[in-house]
Amino acid sequence: MRNKRLKRRGQWKPRGMQSTIMIVFSGISISIMLTLGIVMYVRFSVSTRQETIRSTQMLMEQAGENLEDYLVSMRQISDAVYYNVIKENDFSSSDNDIQRGMNLLYTANRDNLKSIAVYNSYGSLMAAEPVASQKEDPNVTKQDWYVQARAEMENMHFSTPHIQNLFEDDTFRYYWVISLSRVVELTNHGESQTGVLLVDMDYSGIARMMKQINTSNNGQYYYLCDSNGQIIYHMRQIQISNGIFQENSRTAASYKDGVYEETFEGERRKVIVNTISYTGWKLVGVIPDSAFTYGMFDIRYFIIMVMLLMALMLGVINRVVSLRISSPILKLNDSVMEYEAGEQPEIYIGGSREIRHLGESIQRSYEQIDTLMRKIVLEQNERRKSELDALQSQINPHFLYNALDSITWMVEGERNDEAVFMISQLARLFRISLSKGRTVIRMQDELQHAKSYLNIQKIRYKNRFSFVFDVEKSIEACCTVKLILQPLLENAINYGVVGMDDCGEIRVAGRQEDGKIRLSVIDNGIGMSKEEVEFLLTDSSRVHKHGSGVGLVNVNHRIQILFGKEYGLQVESEPDEGTTVSILMPAIPFTEENRKILEQGPLYWKEEMADAGGRKFVPAGTVNRGSKDEE
Amino acid sequence: MKNNKRMYLLLEFGLALMVVLLAFVMILENNEEDLARVSVIVQDSEDNQWTAFKYGLRMAAQDQKIEMFVVSTGAGLTLEEERDVILREIENGADAVIVQPVPGADTGKMLQKIAKRVPVMLVGQNLPKEEDPESGTGIPVTEADHRGMGKALAEELLEDYSGRLDGKTFGLIAEEANSVAALERMAGFREAVADKGAQELWAVCGTFQEEGEKTFVEQPKVDFVIALDDGSLTMAGECASANDLHGALVYGIGNSTEAVYYLDTGAARCLVVPDDFSIGYQSLTAIAKSLGNYFYELQDQEVSYTVMRRDTLFTKENQEILFTMSQ
Repeated sequence: MRNKRLKRRGQWKPRGMQSTIMIVFSGISISIMLTLGIVMYVRFSVSTRQETIRSTQMLMEQAGENLEDYLVSMRQISDAVYYNVIKENDFSSSDNDIQRGMNLLYTANRDNLKSIAVYNSYGSLMAAEPVASQKEDPNVTKQDWYVQARAEMENMHFSTPHIQNLFEDDTFRYYWVISLSRVVELTNHGESQTGVLLVDMDYSGIARMMKQINTSNNGQYYYLCDSNGQIIYHMRQIQISNGIFQENSRTAASYKDGVYEETFEGERRKVIVNTISYTGWKLVGVIPDSAFTYGMFDIRYFIIMVMLLMALMLGVINRVVSLRISSPILKLNDSVMEYEAGEQPEIYIGGSREIRHLGESIQRSYEQIDTLMRKIVLEQNERRKSELDALQSQINPHFLYNALDSITWMVEGERNDEAVFMISQLARLFRISLSKGRTVIRMQDELQHAKSYLNIQKIRYKNRFSFVFDVEKSIEACCTVKLILQPLLENAINYGVVGMDDCGEIRVAGRQEDGKIRLSVIDNGIGMSKEEVEFLLTDSSRVHKHGSGVGLVNVNHRIQILFGKEYGLQVESEPDEGTTVSILMPAIPFTEENRKILEQGPLYWKEEMADAGGRKFVPAGTVNRGSKDEE
Repeated sequence: MKNNKRMYLLLEFGLALMVVLLAFVMILENNEEDLARVSVIVQDSEDNQWTAFKYGLRMAAQDQKIEMFVVSTGAGLTLEEERDVILREIENGADAVIVQPVPGADTGKMLQKIAKRVPVMLVGQNLPKEEDPESGTGIPVTEADHRGMGKALAEELLEDYSGRLDGKTFGLIAEEANSVAALERMAGFREAVADKGAQELWAVCGTFQEEGEKTFVEQPKVDFVIALDDGSLTMAGECASANDLHGALVYGIGNSTEAVYYLDTGAARCLVVPDDFSIGYQSLTAIAKSLGNYFYELQDQEVSYTVMRRDTLFTKENQEILFTMSQ
């Protein structure tokens, strides 16, 4: 399982920076847009819903007031007929006055009235306006309005809409009326009796009012019912009667004034109820849920359109922003990749402050690397040159010629022992010079090489100088660069002691102090001035008067190449006093491993030493058991 | 990098495409607000008998949210006139037509041609059977049960005379001799009174203008005048009110307030009223559905009828019928 996961992780390729920025920006943008869009839509939807309910309530209040005004005016007509006409007159004697009074009231309100009629307690017509012939047998006492009036004599009664069934109409029309009936006290032949006053209101008046508010085409509608839920006006009255449409009027009639939520016929809707004073009628406003969302499709489309356009624009903006952010980094990355591929482009420096700084740092680093590389190459070249020089010194033909000439001379003079000594010294000299091509050799061999050289030169120069070796035993087991003493000895012979008559002396001293080796070649020759001493180690272009041409500069370089800049040659001289040339180098025990490390150069072995806590070199005791130090 | 760019361009292109599509849908939705238009062609459209029918049409138009237009026509519309009116209405943008077919042999062919262009719904009466032998596969019709109404009328008559009409005579009147509705009603009545002892003395068909009325009054005296349509019934009611029927009792089928009036005044003994509101409502509703749904198949629809008597004229149910006739 874990392996699989690791494998999968290994296969996963990290996205580009621009893609990541783009994806993150787009994700955030889309989330914000969606949230905003939904919040906006919900907020808009809720406020629209509230506004719809509020406006419906206001409209219903207004319509209710109009209806109340209308009904109040009908009641006022009824009161006027009763108190001003019926009560003031006797039907037997003042029927003309009654008729005139009723006519006045009818004429003044004929737009809203269908008829005014007075019936006695037997249902006989006492008076009516407009004057019309009564039907043959309308059976008034059985009609609802009459029955209701007689049942509760103290009240006025508003009926539900019905066909007026009282008078004949030659125009073959049947009028839909709402009857306002009340029991009245009338006087006939001086006798007081009860009767029923009927004011038939034209239903079209109420229908007109209701139609005026039923103009919405979003499914919202209003209807009027009585306190029992009997429909008085409904825009789908006949559909309800025919069962095509259903209305929850009985439930609505039981509601008090207010806003209610109900589910009817599977549809959720808001029902707003407003009671009409005195009649107990209910004006009901119905707002189906679909009405709230009616017209919202445009808003939905609009919001979606805005969101899409915003997404489109944000896509472009995100792209530009991500490009702007990532472009400098990508350019920097490209230039680094080109550099890594081996090309040498200029490292891109641009963009924001941080990226510019990064570019500059990388460029500086690369420049430093280049410098170091060049230096390393230079050092390598110098090393090779020095080694070549050293090789040249090994086969100095002049030296060889002189040595061989001396041997020839010894053999001719039958000084065979001396010749043998000379030859053996020459053989040692060359053996150590070669040293299997190694650069670093044991100090003991270097000293032996120096001794052989001095012995050969001493014979050649016919003992015009003497030499002494004063070397601590401990340093013989240390490492040294090969053939560094020979050029110093050559200089000491050529420039120091050759000109002197048998009193020239060369002393080779070796000391170990503070982990360093100081190897000195001291002569008592003619010495040199301070200016000449300064030039000795700096001017490599000087023409050598004598010797192999391998100067002190070369020796100094070779020591520094192997051991570092802190090591090398030190020259002290006084004219007519002599010269001391000292070699400083680290005291590193000679082992095969140490030799190999040292031959890598100082950068390598110092680094190795640092990694190994300064104990990289193999201790001397493990190698040189015969040294003084060991003892 | 190239993939990213391609992906980005694809995404932007997709979004732009969605914006264009949405704009297209919004434009389409706005255009859809143009309501479908249905023209209604019936004979003598301003006549009182169509009031309930037109009210039904208006209510259906309101419920179905379509535009409805009743073409103004006179009585006695000929086949050519009806065809011209229908074609003119289609040219004027009618998406469908509701037609009361004029009686005649070629009406069916003419309407079938029209039906190939726009949906057609017949109202009032069907085409003659011989023109539409495979009933139900031709042009759909919304009508009352004419035969049933004839039978109902006869049953009311029989009920008044305890199921027997021995020695009684009756005459039948109808406006359209070739009208399928009149023939069906006649057949239904005759079927119901057969073997009940009554004798049919005459049957008069035609438009009863002054001359026609005279012809009708001059028919031999009968005990019952059976009026099989609204025009006949109002004419018979008028004659009965004027005592021109020699005491004959009028039984009839009608759908106008005038017909109801004659019942109310006693000039007619019984009235069978087809539910014209439902004919109008159902026919337009069906047409509206067919316009809104390509796969909706128009079908024949039959509506009910109501028997009215003078004493039951003002029941709640009958008042509602009167309400539709008074709109």
